Amino acid sequence: MLRGPLVLLLSGSAFLSACVQTRQVADVEFEPPRGDYSLIVMRPDVSVGLLTAGGLVEPRADWTEKARANLLKALAEQQAGRGGRTRILETRSGIAGVSADQVAELERLHAAVGASIALHKYLGATLPTKRRQGLDWTLGEDAVAFGRATGMDYALFLHAEDSFASTGRVALQVLGIAGCIIGFCAPQQGGGQSAYASLVDLRTGEVVWFNVLQTSSLAPGIQFGDIRTPEGAAQMVERLLGRMKAGRAVRARQ
Amino acid sequence: MSAWHQALPLTRRAMLGGLGCAGCAALAGTAEARIRPADMKPLVGPGHRPTAKDEQGLWQQYERVEEEIAGSNLLVRDAALAAYLGNVAERTGGPAAGDLRVYLAHIPEFNAFMAPTGFMVVFSGLLLRMRDEAQLAGVIAHEAGHFLRRHQIRQWRDLKRKTAAMNFLGMAAGLGYGATGIYAGDLVRLAQLGGILSIFSYSRELEAEADAMGLKQIAATGYDPGAMPETWQQLIEEIEASAEMRRKRPKRGYSLLATHPAPAQRMADLRLSAKEVTTPRGVERGRDRYLKALGAHRKTFLDDQIKLNDPGASLYLLRNLAKDGWNGLLRFYEGEVWRLRGQRGDSALAGQSYAAAIGFADAPPEAWRAHGYQLLKDGRRDEGLAALRRYLALAPQAPDAAMVRHTLGE
Repeated sequence: MLRGPLVLLLSGSAFLSACVQTRQVADVEFEPPRGDYSLIVMRPDVSVGLLTAGGLVEPRADWTEKARANLLKALAEQQAGRGGRTRILETRSGIAGVSADQVAELERLHAAVGASIALHKYLGATLPTKRRQGLDWTLGEDAVAFGRATGMDYALFLHAEDSFASTGRVALQVLGIAGCIIGFCAPQQGGGQSAYASLVDLRTGEVVWFNVLQTSSLAPGIQFGDIRTPEGAAQMVERLLGRMKAGRAVRARQ
Repeated sequence: MSAWHQALPLTRRAMLGGLGCAGCAALAGTAEARIRPADMKPLVGPGHRPTAKDEQGLWQQYERVEEEIAGSNLLVRDAALAAYLGNVAERTGGPAAGDLRVYLAHIPEFNAFMAPTGFMVVFSGLLLRMRDEAQLAGVIAHEAGHFLRRHQIRQWRDLKRKTAAMNFLGMAAGLGYGATGIYAGDLVRLAQLGGILSIFSYSRELEAEADAMGLKQIAATGYDPGAMPETWQQLIEEIEASAEMRRKRPKRGYSLLATHPAPAQRMADLRLSAKEVTTPRGVERGRDRYLKALGAHRKTFLDDQIKLNDPGASLYLLRNLAKDGWNGLLRFYEGEVWRLRGQRGDSALAGQSYAAAIGFADAPPEAWRAHGYQLLKDGRRDEGLAALRRYLALAPQAPDAAMVRHTLGE
């Protein structure tokens, strides 16, 4: 686990951008849930850390706990605003009628499907047979069975990371930019967020909507939200889930 | 994570790219000095919990990892064997005795790793290679040694410190160049290379610490400390046997970028250290207990190994286990290695092994089947059919029973 960041650091080419980015993809027939619906949030995976001077992210337990609590609260409020009833699955064994193993298997299946979506929809490896077909992935019967057992309409898988530059890192950022004055520009990446949300329709088992959020900054002290605070968490939820667009076929009919 | 054996990513080589490495030894220092078991004191007490922020963060992440591993379908589901491994860990864990958890993963490789929170994962290929409980205790005590010496957090802090220093150095040199026009890029790169090498060197130092700590623990609990260098000797010989049969040069594991010391170095150090901690009462090997706990799994793990298509290693492994006496199981799999290699003359060698296997009372039913078909091939029809009948008598529910009956003309 220690080698990944090291290699990234040494390769010297961090992703040099300073902005907030989101990009969503949806099933062509997707209609954003509205009115009376129920949503279960699957064991959200949140991690907040300190960006060290050397460019490593050091996870921080207290920040992570705080961010997790804030994100979940913001999520429930945001969904209530759309008319939905939200239930949060905190642990794998936290739901009656479904075993921890079944939850674990659904999570692993989603992790594999999510990785495939990331590869083919976000990382450029587009599939020629799937062009202009929107999001066309499914978790299959397992998800439908899970929906029947829980009585829920949708499942939301959520992953969120945030990091904050340490004092040493900020000093390097300042030096890197100040150096431009004397002809040595070496901007350093500051902290940033990356998150994704994936919505599964438990009546069909299909992944109907997927969104990825990234924020990053090269300027010292500039951040695009802090999920350790209630406002920052609400902002991330809003960026990630606030502007759910309908699928292409649905929009074409409107 | 700290692995027992080697799990080195390809990226290390790529990382250094075109940098020549002629002067590296001078930068990184020569071979690390041996660490004496007597100098190893546990750095955690019973019920250790992290108090510093960085360690708390590391623990939180690993709690999720452990949940994932505990529910993984790669684990060998055998409560009795799991309890046995837990007992060995408890016995050798020193102050952490009550805090260690052991998971057995069904992976046919010689490896194990320790997580910072006190759980370890042992691979099934490791259990296959152990001749007795003392050898197993050595490996488990090595892993427990990583926990007792708080290696993961120490390594993380070392990495943090060195990467920060390298980054600051690069920045300072760049700014110096901007301000004064003096180019120090080459020197900086050399210094950074030194930094990288020292990160790997520290990792090897911690492995040597875990060896010394583990050795001290097994000696203190009455196991034969000589079992630990033996394990390394077995590994070296297995690597050599594997290479020899493939007509390749064996990998010696010496590298400035290795996370672990070279096996030969470890074996030599462990031998010296084992002498230091040997006491008249430290002689326990626990072979019978080990074999009883392993039970029918040894056959499964042997089966996995044979199918790796590494005949040199497989034969070495079988012969090493047979130092405690040949039996029907080992002889049968010896035959299987030859049969699967399938070069000229291997069929006859396989036949000899199968014939030897059925001479033992514990020969698996498959040995009779293999022996039977071998005899049919050799034109010894009646004997062959008799052996196949014996197979069906021993394993009437075998999945290939119908096929064998067809051969028998039934």
